Amino acid sequence: MRSYTAVTLRQLSSRRGRLFLTISGIVLGTGMIVGVLLLTTTIQRTFTDLYDSIYGKADLVLAATSDAGALPEDALARVRTTQGVDSAVGQVTAVLSLVGADGPGAELNAAGTTVEGQSYSDLEIVSGRKVRGGREAELEASWAEANGLQVGDTASLATPTGIRDYRVAGLFKFSTGVDFGGEGFGFLPLGEARRAFGQPAGWSEIQAVVSEEGTGAVDQVKRRLDAEFGPGVEVITPQGKSDQIQSQLQALNVILYFFAGMALFVGGFLIFNSFNMTVLQRMREIGMQRTLGASRGMVVRSVLTESSTLGIAGSLLGILGGIGIALALITLLRSIGLPVGALQWTAAAPVAGILMGLITATAGSLIPALRAGRIAPIRAVLGSEGLRSRPKPIRAAIGICLVAPGLYGAFTLGAADQTTTAVVAAGIGGIIAIFFGIALLAPFVVSPLSRLLSWPVRKLAPIEGRLASDSARANPTRTAATATALLIGLALVVGINSLGSSFLNSIEREFDRAFARDLTVQPRGLNPGAGPQQSLAPSVLGKISDLPGVAVATPERLVATAQLPQVAGRKGNGPQGLLFGFDPSVYDKVDSSQIDTGDLTRAEAYARVGKGALTVGKGYAEEAGIEIGHEMLLEGASGVERAPVVAVVDTILAGGQTVSMSLEKMARVYGITSDTQIAVKAESVDARAEVKREIERLLEADYPNLTVLSNDEIKSEVESQISQQFGFFNALVAVAILASLFGIVNTLSMSVLERTREIGVLRALGATRWQIRRTVANESLIISLIGAVLGISIGVGLGWALLQGLAAGVPGVVYSPPIGTMLAVAVAAVLLGLIAAIVPARRAAKLDVVDALSYE
Amino acid sequence: MSPGSKRSGKRSGDTDPVPAIDARKLTKRYGSGTSLVKALDRLDFRVEKGEMVAIMGPSGSGKSTLLHLLGALETPTSGTIALAGENFEGLDDRGLTLLRREKIGFVFQFFNLLPSLNALENVMLPALIAGRRDPKVEKRARSLLKRVGLARRERHLPSELSGGEQQRVSIARALLLEPELVLADEPTGNLDSRSEATVLDLLSELNSDEGHTIVIVTHDTTAAAVAGRVSFLRDGRSAGEVAGGDSAKVIRAFAKLESPASKTKKRRSSAKSPRGKR
Ligand SMILES: Nc1ncnc2c1ncn2[C@@H]1O[C@H](COP(=O)(O)OP(=O)(O)OP(=O)(O)O)[C@@H](O)[C@H]1O
Ligand SMILES: [Mg+2]
Repeated sequence: MRSYTAVTLRQLSSRRGRLFLTISGIVLGTGMIVGVLLLTTTIQRTFTDLYDSIYGKADLVLAATSDAGALPEDALARVRTTQGVDSAVGQVTAVLSLVGADGPGAELNAAGTTVEGQSYSDLEIVSGRKVRGGREAELEASWAEANGLQVGDTASLATPTGIRDYRVAGLFKFSTGVDFGGEGFGFLPLGEARRAFGQPAGWSEIQAVVSEEGTGAVDQVKRRLDAEFGPGVEVITPQGKSDQIQSQLQALNVILYFFAGMALFVGGFLIFNSFNMTVLQRMREIGMQRTLGASRGMVVRSVLTESSTLGIAGSLLGILGGIGIALALITLLRSIGLPVGALQWTAAAPVAGILMGLITATAGSLIPALRAGRIAPIRAVLGSEGLRSRPKPIRAAIGICLVAPGLYGAFTLGAADQTTTAVVAAGIGGIIAIFFGIALLAPFVVSPLSRLLSWPVRKLAPIEGRLASDSARANPTRTAATATALLIGLALVVGINSLGSSFLNSIEREFDRAFARDLTVQPRGLNPGAGPQQSLAPSVLGKISDLPGVAVATPERLVATAQLPQVAGRKGNGPQGLLFGFDPSVYDKVDSSQIDTGDLTRAEAYARVGKGALTVGKGYAEEAGIEIGHEMLLEGASGVERAPVVAVVDTILAGGQTVSMSLEKMARVYGITSDTQIAVKAESVDARAEVKREIERLLEADYPNLTVLSNDEIKSEVESQISQQFGFFNALVAVAILASLFGIVNTLSMSVLERTREIGVLRALGATRWQIRRTVANESLIISLIGAVLGISIGVGLGWALLQGLAAGVPGVVYSPPIGTMLAVAVAAVLLGLIAAIVPARRAAKLDVVDALSYE
Repeated sequence: MSPGSKRSGKRSGDTDPVPAIDARKLTKRYGSGTSLVKALDRLDFRVEKGEMVAIMGPSGSGKSTLLHLLGALETPTSGTIALAGENFEGLDDRGLTLLRREKIGFVFQFFNLLPSLNALENVMLPALIAGRRDPKVEKRARSLLKRVGLARRERHLPSELSGGEQQRVSIARALLLEPELVLADEPTGNLDSRSEATVLDLLSELNSDEGHTIVIVTHDTTAAAVAGRVSFLRDGRSAGEVAGGDSAKVIRAFAKLESPASKTKKRRSSAKSPRGKR
């Protein structure tokens, strides 16, 4: 050994067993960071590659601002004659689904275009040939392979006009060579596509090549096209399109980084706790080093050297884990319908991982290091005797001062309808402040809580329960820190699921109120707002109306738009939201939403909608100050109109960010002609079941991609969508909870070590191994239950604050506690406690009685 | 080793033929090869019911080891132990644990009270461990505390008691379940001379007045003299015994044990030992 530092490092290797427990939080935290970084890189690459391939040659892409909108037929000619445009092609698009022997299957993004149009994309035919005309299709090779299709096969596709069979004429690969996580792409000949998509005229998308090179020229042409088409049409570069998706995914990224940050935070906490314990344990030794002349600085540095070494070691492991986490996240995201390609590596990931690991470990060990530095030489003699100080009241004061503004920060996050950096920072800062505050407050509640929580244990097993609870209370700071590490994960689960349960309950309540319909017919897996959706064949409506027992069958069109209409004369663009088209003459029969119609009756208001007026969602109305009587400016791909607002609808669909109009108006202004779903009312309550069976029979025969849902089924559909999303979040939080599990193990091992002699006495007095195990398990249970009780309360507070914020923007959302999640968290805490105790309890039980008795 | 002495209790060996302890050819080895230590070497040891025996010997002579074996804290490498006629042999960990629980009371050098329990609770600990919760236990615990002179300190935590008081609590704890045998390893090793006297008086009274069978290990000849019989150990073997009571005689015998001839031996044996206990 050449230096004092070498002594430090020697110490590390002498505690190998606990090392892993100490760094597990760092490993998992940096693993998350690395995993998320790799994931975002992969997503970015996926979309860049996607648009690079699809718009290979095109410099500019024109499309309607709203999802399913169409550009008028003459748009192509207008683009071609625009100054600076070299050439342009148009295409029509739709989402189709493959109809296999066993019902509807994978979705296919289909484009109908000419051979020239295809040449704009950057792809190569790998077998067969391009489509020329007639009922043939050209498919992306890996999707075709995944679905068992080869050149010459027949593919049955559910199109907006019904099932149609296509001969597979060719298979292609995008030249970037990336697969898109199972997302399907294909081409149909233009004429056939127009028939199949029910779009005899107009264009979904126009791609243009600019004659001159350089971004300056492209910009100039873009400005000319903007002027030519107005705000209903979006003119954008392929790169811009990719950027747009990125910024839409921004919210997802923020969430991912947030969870990664939380896991790391827990990791820092575990480091803090672990080093606190070691410093206390090594008090005598450190005191001895001080008597030998080690300065304070040397002691502090030695602890920091130790922790930073651990930080780096932990983050190296974390990088490996991160790759696994990234792969898992990609699978998860694919399962909720986001196309993500194969994992992409970036050098930034390991760098960030190591940096974050190092910072976290150092920050976590700072206080213990300083504490070590303050150890007086006399401790060489005294050891840690007489040091069990109670937490100081100032801690509580600071804790409270952190929690209150923290909740406000969370409120701000919830209230924001755009996730700007400032808002996210306020929210995340707020949540971290809450947890810090709780960490400071926790030691004060440990004692009463552990007495309370150990009550049932004490009843069952008086001595073990008593000893366990004493053990937890003997070192409230340590118990508190351990419980806090657990609490963070549990509180996040409860907080987040509070949002889910509140939304779900509010939506269900709205459905109960608004659904006068009996049934809804829609494409399977419909998810408005999550990209282009399948639409219904126009023929369905007539066939359903003709069924016996059907009183009303009326179409609904739901289209996501990047810009809702704005009050005429106001500056700026409207927010993103949902355009809703319906038939006001019969809509009252299937819908009983609460509507504020001012001086008009409901019937009068609907009549006005039939003549071109609008209704506006309450969320949007309140936020933008829109009132009945205001004139709105509607700027669609097909036209520009003004229309008055006649009513405000109390809805929480799309957060109340909706504008509704008649079907005709929607077609005229936005070029939207396809139905999203059909609302059906039976002639009588008794006829319902029979009508549903009739419709099922009809769909099964002719429209296997569609489904008919009762109101209860719609509710459970929404519920499963929400729980899928929140399941994803829960999976992310699970990493933080896992880290805290290791924290409990660490604390228990420490506790067993400290109580070795006590365990020896108990064994000498006739305690069985099993009783010793129970004592440790009980201590573990007490810690985890403290974590659960606090976690659930903090989670409820957090969820409530987030929701109050959200409800400020979405009127009508009411907080409802996630009872199921809370129960699950409580059960999980008990299980975690028991699992954490397994190894330490076994070690305690195995202690040799004589050795334990002579342990100092 | 012959039974009986002037100060042994009421139920002497003459009236009860079954000895409290009958240990035969006890051997305890630690380690192996060059680090092999014979802590006990074919030792025979017998204690009659109601007897109070002190064990003396140089450091490392195997006193603690013997006590641990008698107390079923460890198992011998070979040899047999019978407690009140009942052989330990063949008992697994659980069996030994139950035996300790029911038949043996321990008094430790460092008192070893649980710091978070008060005096009364510490005394009741063995009953709690055994799962006995009837009110009689508490009554007995109280009367024991009274017996050791700490009736007014029931609610005090160990940290609020002096060393001698703590040791008296731990003696009361050892007696709670009326054990066949009380084992004490240097019970006064950590006490000042006044506390030491109180504790020793207490132990000898418990023996003479109440007939408890007590084995104590000690370095202190005055402590040993309280016992009815003093048994000497050296290098894990018996090195004779004398009757207690007369402390001058005990001192003389002990001095002989520590004579130069045996000192070399002792040094050798402690050099072999991988770890020192004190
Ligand atoms: N667990 C063990 N492993 C190895 N050697 C041991 C162990 N326990 C005791 N010994 C050795 O056995 C011998 C007897 O030890 P023991 O503790 O019985 O001595 P003692 O008479 O109680 O001494 P002291 O008066 O110092 O307490 C010693 O040489 C000791 O080093
Ligand atoms: Mg000893």
